[in-house]
Amino acid sequence: MLLDWLLPALVVTALALLVIGAIRRVLLWRAGQPEPVNIIAGLMAMPRRYLVDLHHVVERDKVMSNTHVATAGGFVLSMLLIIPVHVFGLESRWLSIPLLIATALMFTGAIFVYRRRRNPPARLSRGPWMRLPKSLLMFSASFFLLTLVTSGFLPENFGSWVLVAVLLVGVTLGLSEMLFGMGWGGPMKHAFAGALHLAFHRRPERFGGGRSTGLKPVNLDGKLGVADPKDFKWNQLLGFDACVQCGRCEAVCPAFAAGQPLNPKKLIQDMVVGMAGGTDANYAGSPYPGTDVGKAEGNPHQPIVDGLVSADTLWSCTTCRACVEECPMMIEHVDAIVDMRRHLTLERGETPNKGAEVLDNLIATDNPGGNEPGSRMNWAADLDLPLMADKHEAEVLFWVSDGCFDMRSQRILRAFVQILKAAKVDFAVLGNEERDSGDVARRLGDDATFQTLARHNIATLGKYRFQRIVTTDPHAFHVLKNEYGDFGGHYEVLHHSTFINELVEQGQLSLDRFKGGTVTYHDPCYLGRYNGEYESPRALLNALGIQVSEMDRSGYRSRCCGGGGGAPITDIPGEHRIADMRVDDARKVEAETIAVACQQCTAMLEGVVEPRPEIRDLAELVADGLIIEAADSTAPAAQPIAEEVH
Amino acid sequence: MSPDSFPNSFSNPDLKVASLISVGQHPKSGRARRASQDARAVELGLKMAGSSSRLIHVGGGDETGLRQYLGMGLPEITLLEADGRADAVPILVRHLKEQPADIVLTGIHAERGEASGMVPYLLAEYLGWPIVPRIADIQKVEEGFAEVLQALPRGQRRLLRVSLPFIATVDNAAPDARQYAFGPARRGLMDGVAVDAPVDETRLEWQESPAKPRPKRLNVVKAKSAADRFKAATAKPQGQGGKVIRDGTDREKAEAIMELLIAEGVVR
Amino acid sequence: MTDIPRRDPRTEWILRNRLHPQYDEMVAVNSGPVRGPTGLLRKNPHAVGFIGPNGIKRIDRSAGLTGGAGGLSSRAKGRSAQAEVELPMHRVEQPDFYVAVVVDLAGGRLSSHDKDVLGQAHQLVKAAEGEGAVVAVALGEAREANFDKAGADRMVHLTEVYGQSLTGYCPEHKLAVLEAVESELAPRYWLFPDSVHGGADLGSRLAARLSERPVVHAWQVDADHSVCRGGSQLTDWHRPTARVILLAEECALPIDETRHEAKPIELASIPKVTPRIEDLGQVEVDPSKIALGEAEFILSAGNGVRDWSQFHEVATALGATEGASRVAVDDGNMPRFRQVGATGTWVTARVYVAVGISGAIQHMQGIGRCDKVVAINLDDGCDMIKRADLSVIGNSQGILGELLRLAESRQSGTELESPKATAESTEEDRHVA
Repeated sequence: MLLDWLLPALVVTALALLVIGAIRRVLLWRAGQPEPVNIIAGLMAMPRRYLVDLHHVVERDKVMSNTHVATAGGFVLSMLLIIPVHVFGLESRWLSIPLLIATALMFTGAIFVYRRRRNPPARLSRGPWMRLPKSLLMFSASFFLLTLVTSGFLPENFGSWVLVAVLLVGVTLGLSEMLFGMGWGGPMKHAFAGALHLAFHRRPERFGGGRSTGLKPVNLDGKLGVADPKDFKWNQLLGFDACVQCGRCEAVCPAFAAGQPLNPKKLIQDMVVGMAGGTDANYAGSPYPGTDVGKAEGNPHQPIVDGLVSADTLWSCTTCRACVEECPMMIEHVDAIVDMRRHLTLERGETPNKGAEVLDNLIATDNPGGNEPGSRMNWAADLDLPLMADKHEAEVLFWVSDGCFDMRSQRILRAFVQILKAAKVDFAVLGNEERDSGDVARRLGDDATFQTLARHNIATLGKYRFQRIVTTDPHAFHVLKNEYGDFGGHYEVLHHSTFINELVEQGQLSLDRFKGGTVTYHDPCYLGRYNGEYESPRALLNALGIQVSEMDRSGYRSRCCGGGGGAPITDIPGEHRIADMRVDDARKVEAETIAVACQQCTAMLEGVVEPRPEIRDLAELVADGLIIEAADSTAPAAQPIAEEVH
Repeated sequence: MSPDSFPNSFSNPDLKVASLISVGQHPKSGRARRASQDARAVELGLKMAGSSSRLIHVGGGDETGLRQYLGMGLPEITLLEADGRADAVPILVRHLKEQPADIVLTGIHAERGEASGMVPYLLAEYLGWPIVPRIADIQKVEEGFAEVLQALPRGQRRLLRVSLPFIATVDNAAPDARQYAFGPARRGLMDGVAVDAPVDETRLEWQESPAKPRPKRLNVVKAKSAADRFKAATAKPQGQGGKVIRDGTDREKAEAIMELLIAEGVVR
Repeated sequence: MTDIPRRDPRTEWILRNRLHPQYDEMVAVNSGPVRGPTGLLRKNPHAVGFIGPNGIKRIDRSAGLTGGAGGLSSRAKGRSAQAEVELPMHRVEQPDFYVAVVVDLAGGRLSSHDKDVLGQAHQLVKAAEGEGAVVAVALGEAREANFDKAGADRMVHLTEVYGQSLTGYCPEHKLAVLEAVESELAPRYWLFPDSVHGGADLGSRLAARLSERPVVHAWQVDADHSVCRGGSQLTDWHRPTARVILLAEECALPIDETRHEAKPIELASIPKVTPRIEDLGQVEVDPSKIALGEAEFILSAGNGVRDWSQFHEVATALGATEGASRVAVDDGNMPRFRQVGATGTWVTARVYVAVGISGAIQHMQGIGRCDKVVAINLDDGCDMIKRADLSVIGNSQGILGELLRLAESRQSGTELESPKATAESTEEDRHVA
């Protein structure tokens, strides 16, 4: 019978094509730079990463999560069973019944995929992805029926050769999408590349509930950043291939929403184009705002900027990590963007707008404003702050940050000093010995300057004894905590929201109730997404008797203020301003005050034209609510805290 | 930063442009850096002659400062190594006679030391070349002549025609120097040629000290009468709370503004 | 306030009209005693004296109080008389040596820098033995240059050499003149203002030509010793005084108590040079294209500006460089390079007109070095008004419209100026006369 040899032949051909395609794909990835990974451990951990970590992200959309489980689970199971049943012709009910169930499961899932694709949201890519549900349906239905036929559930000679022919066509189409397409760049590529991406992820710490957000250092004696696609690490290239074009990144990207020429999804797809060679003509999703699709062209050995993507695209990113947080495939967009920025800054010297000036200032004066390095303590001339140089030892080292030069940030710093003094904390500052943490330099791609600053700061910190560092600047917090480790600086670093909350919980501070209107809280990206601190600020606000009215986008989905990643410095024009959109979020919940925990956010949100909600830093709110007389320390110290506030 | 207020610089890769560079210092931190005017000179050279324009430095060769010039995208610096106290002029004269240039660019003053700004003048005198000070741009070079835009105060410009070869000092009004990048700065060559030069003996006798704040001249009033003296002593210091006009028609308000503009001489 | 005696047309008119209700009053003020109807001499005691600076009425019995006929303000007269005081003449008959001062004569006038340098020259003359004369070398057209009062004992004033005008940029010709002065007078010192108006250039040229090592950026000079500012204004150099000295601003006090002869000296021969630098003239610079940091007059727009085409028109009409606040830039109304402030450009304008800018702290930082700030704003409590030297409260659109009309009428020459000057002087009279 026709089926007896044709079906196995088809499956084997498809599998062979898959293998050939897969090898080709692997070779494309291997054009990238070497990066050591633990292959065995990675592969072993892969199923868990897939089933737990990835689905943890996918599960944010319940329907889609179940759909994916049914479809993907059904497919993997069917494929495993098709080989013995249809290729080797094993006839056992123990195989064919599970196969029937698997294909049925896959079919059910595919129906949901189909339904979603009937009216897909804008963030989803079209093109070949519109074909996918049909292919899924065809594959599962054909194999279901074929299995029914071949395993004798139906009477011999049921239907006619016409039916068989139709089924074979279905099988052929299904197999070509599912297996051939997987190896040769079809939508199903994501399954194969995605699985390997999870296995060989560049930040394995992210799996199992961990967090890895610090940028990787540049070897200053080697290649500086990424010029051509081949300059990415091989597993970064692999990661790009894992993209399913679901567009969740696009939906949360503040730059995209502001109409700046950045779309994280398109960027990853452009990287895929660069890796494989060709143009983006087949890309069927939203473009970079204001840029037409179809003109980007590249190959692994051709510069990315001005062929594949424009520099403006890279400089639009605020490094808020919303895309990374949202990506179900755990792709690292920010790493890729900063890698390419490094090339622009370190090799080409093309940091746009004020970028060059800021970097120049950082090199010459250790602060981005070009202020006199010896005037770091001018803001505190009347506060009589203890200096580390005098004390040599303190419990808490207060990292002042460059906010010391900015008149608005100084108010936050002064509020925090007031709190430290009220709680009688044993603290000291570095004073003029402190330098910029290097955050801005690093996000602007100047890792050389970052490393210089970091090494100096680490050497300075090494001279003194302290238990923990506390800072009001989430950027400095992140850099000190997560990025100095590569240069030998390991510290216990706390953000002031965490620290003040601790003081309140320990009863060191007594707070009055806040007497204002509705308050909402804006999560700074570098505190929240970068470091997972969502609770302390809210607990602190609760301690002030504030019921936080949460904005739509809060917590890990908080929308950036537009101030990160050097975005205000590179200043790429868009249609809106990110800060305006954020204040609109707050207006929607009728907030009268936006509590923030970052001086950069303060500056950005206060830049919105009035009338707008008042912007207050947590430290300022707490300082206002301080009850100074320490006599009665028992009363309001233990306010009800830790209420679930999501 | 500034818009294209004037046509772009002339460009001709065959032109031999040399920039004399020195190590500057940051006014706030005193840290070594590329000198801002010299960097503008290099920028102008780069625009005119591309990476074939030469960089010449006489002295000890401070790494950080000089590498910043290389970071602008030039392959090498001709480093004429001499004692830091040596007189640079004879060395440069000799060098420029051996390896002639059509245009020699440099800053107006150095950022360190005496900063007399005499080097280009002395070079011009010894080489017999014309010197054009404070240029903002070079617009055209043809038939042995260059059209040079000289910067005047407050954004004004003057067009000069000067015969080649010549020396020009570059004003702060010239286009900003491009960003220097770490990669090219690291790769650039800085092979020194030791040259012997007499030590500048005269200079050794001088004393250098940190700048003393200069007394601000007070507005001394030589009053002829008691009333004038009284007025001078009690007059309200300027700038303490200005005049505020709340009432009146728009016309009167506009007139008040116009009066100030005329008095200040900005409206003529 | 001006020293020019002013006529008061109104008073004159009243004095011509006997039937005017104020006629008697005016006559009383202006012509002293009046006869009453009975022929008795009447005095108006209120019209006597003037209000002194401390608000007390003063009666000056020394001079004829009634001198100011025809509404001439007696005070203005007094002041102008004061200004005409003849300063003592300082004469140098037979100078033993010369000190040459090459003045910039920027715009044809002696700048305060020029005058300071002349003052310095006299200090050097005084310190030396023998009688020295200060030679002011002025090359180019001079307008209202009071060389005698500024301290020039001798003058070398040339407006052209061999048919070449010295008014434009012609350093080679000027150097030739200086060489002639050198060979004929052999000045003991050559002083130049160390300025961007040509003094530094010419001084350096002369020093190179004479193989003299000049003293530059000098701010404290005596006969043997000079203190000079070094690079980046960060160091002082103490060194012996040399022959060629380039002097910083405010190096010495200008001459103000003597007059000088300013006797012209004719140069016998000036070497002829073939110039290799040719001045093709000043380039028309569109004020709107001057970089913000350099501009001297900035009209800056903020959130309060509604009519942008009107704003641009006003800037063009006034010849101002346009600036903007961050909000105006963010909203796309102005390009980014026009942004003024700590996050934009730090400006140094002499006059900064802020239209509808309330004055965010970063903006105020950016205009910290501006001389005069004018604010047009609706909100009279905003920070910009606190900083401004002149503030007008009102709708920017209306005021800009009037400003535009004023500027245009100025340009077309139809001065519809109200008699402001007179109004001012009568106001003065009220205080004084």
